[in-house]
Amino acid sequence: MKQITIISGKGGTGKTTLASSFIKLAGDQVAVDCDVDAANLHIMLAPSIRQTSDFIGGEIAVVSQDCIACGRCEELCRFDAIKDSTGDIIIDPLKCEGCGVCLEACPADAIELKSSRQGQYFVSDTDFCPMVHARLDPGAENSGLLVARIRNIAEDIAVNENKKAIIIDGAPGIGCPVIASLNGVDYALIVTEPTLSGISDFKKAHEVTRFFNIEALACINKADINRENCSIISDYCKTNGITMLGEIPYDDMVPRALSSKKFIVDIKDSPAGKKITGFWKVIEERLYS
Amino acid sequence: MKLVISSTGKDMDDSIDPRFGRCSYYIAYDTEKDTFEAVENKSRNATGGAGIQASQAAADLGADAVITTNIGPNAFRVLETAGIKVYSGVTGTVRQAVEGFKNGSLGTTEKPNVGEKFGMGGSN
Amino acid sequence: MIISVASGKGGTGKTSVAVGLARSLGFCQFLDFDVEAPNASFFLKPDIKNEEKVSIKQPYFLKDTGADFSRCAEFCHYNAVAYVKGEVVFFPELCHGCGGCILVGPPGAVREKDVLVGKVLKGKAEPGIDFLVGDLIPGSLRTISVQARLESYINRSEKVILDCPPGTSCSMVTAVKNSDFCILVTEPTPFGLNDLEISVEVLKDLDIPHAVIINRDGIGDSAVQEFCNSNNIKILERIPNDIKIARAYSRGFSIPEVYPEWKERFLAIIDNIEKDVI
Repeated sequence: MKQITIISGKGGTGKTTLASSFIKLAGDQVAVDCDVDAANLHIMLAPSIRQTSDFIGGEIAVVSQDCIACGRCEELCRFDAIKDSTGDIIIDPLKCEGCGVCLEACPADAIELKSSRQGQYFVSDTDFCPMVHARLDPGAENSGLLVARIRNIAEDIAVNENKKAIIIDGAPGIGCPVIASLNGVDYALIVTEPTLSGISDFKKAHEVTRFFNIEALACINKADINRENCSIISDYCKTNGITMLGEIPYDDMVPRALSSKKFIVDIKDSPAGKKITGFWKVIEERLYS
Repeated sequence: MKLVISSTGKDMDDSIDPRFGRCSYYIAYDTEKDTFEAVENKSRNATGGAGIQASQAAADLGADAVITTNIGPNAFRVLETAGIKVYSGVTGTVRQAVEGFKNGSLGTTEKPNVGEKFGMGGSN
Repeated sequence: MIISVASGKGGTGKTSVAVGLARSLGFCQFLDFDVEAPNASFFLKPDIKNEEKVSIKQPYFLKDTGADFSRCAEFCHYNAVAYVKGEVVFFPELCHGCGGCILVGPPGAVREKDVLVGKVLKGKAEPGIDFLVGDLIPGSLRTISVQARLESYINRSEKVILDCPPGTSCSMVTAVKNSDFCILVTEPTPFGLNDLEISVEVLKDLDIPHAVIINRDGIGDSAVQEFCNSNNIKILERIPNDIKIARAYSRGFSIPEVYPEWKERFLAIIDNIEKDVI
């Protein structure tokens, strides 16, 4: 069983368009949407949820009435989460990282670490395969933790149902959710665009895959915006041993297909659809070998 | 000798769970007494470093050797420090793994066999 | 007055809008809070004058003392410390730098050192923009540490534009919560709408007034507009789907540089917001 995660560094380059296309074309697969902040894969795959679970996130420190306002916690907190406001100790849940130092140091035993629900995760059926996805409560923390949870579940399903591949739609950026979505996968497909921002973020995303020793593939979306930048990206791939799958031209059938919830690979005469289908053939060979 | 094997279930005839840190159970098998106990893996959904916790748990169980399919560098490092031998790339049932160990057909691993797996840090 | 520019979905045009606003204002403070993938520099082309390292303090263990570090392993909420057969194993990539090891560990046997996680760069962009950007080292989990350092430089006495990271969770919230008003940039597609709905919930929870700019207007459908109308969310502007804008963007040029009339349109957005907030 092998796994591939589709990432980008820069947002909006087409991760979900490609991931959903691959999921549609694949067989014996499990789909995972690791963009738990702003999940989009379900819009294309129309999952019917068979199991919902609450996601209890990491803990946050909470101070009780027993507080004697000695301020020891405030002195020790490395995350600027504790403030002594007019004699009352206030812990900012947005800054608290649940490390437990304040609890340990409190002479009055007035601090507790409490976990709370931060979101939900789902195991669903789609027309193509089982799908694991999640919804983080707005503004919640520990998105990386939630990603690790759904990755775990997807691996369980793959092991139990004898699936050959897990296809993972990643999140933008290079932070904890992205790292969690790359943990232990065999391949990363980095989708980029030929813009200055795209190039810079592509390199960062690649550094992350290199840091974790994951084989990287790449493709350039909306390639005809800037041919010069396409060459820069291709050269970088050659120098760094990244397999360049190819270029997808700007194709206004893509957003239109999306609006009618159609897969671009099903749209006859779509240049983007043709390219994506071609990329899948290359990936399929690696994933199922 | 105590062997700790990552397992999908509580029985000797269950398949080896391919993921050491996030497996469902550990089977701790005593080669001298020919007895075993199944321990639930509480680190499955750990904030991060599930492999690290799992290795710590294996050490606490008194493991002399760990048998699994995939093990990442963090878990490997802890086991190595504890002087616990690692047999990775092993598949089949737990019973088959034990037989393999007894007749010396499993090779030890010098380094982790999967790319730098990183139990993601407890993020905020 | 602090205006943040955010969006649930990535790639909708946050940086384009933030940069457009800053360029039109000419004199303001601009902070790029997307520390994982900062891009505003390509457009504002700042002259960087100062680079500040962002580090966290991580423990190191004096193993030769033969001290017992098991308390450190038990205490660590992030599994960054293991203690097996009298040996300590430390995993720096998991460590948050909370200082717990020093607190609970054998006195004198645990020390700390600075470990670099990123940097904050400060400079000036034409004509009078105070420019600051955070930059996280790829592979590090400490987005929040770099953002926290950046936050400390917000100058409330200036007009401030914050370019936020995509998404709706902690890194976006950390950026946005500093602002008096948030502009949500979206695209008129089902993905854009889905993520806009989530972003709006976040801003409502944070009690931050907000409005929408629709970018690449015309590529998809009218569902975003309908959502805004039914929820009384003002649509401040629509930026058309224009290949000229896309090509210019790819080369580091902002919208007012391609279409000078947009300077007035961006200034009008700010006026509109100021009226709302005041």
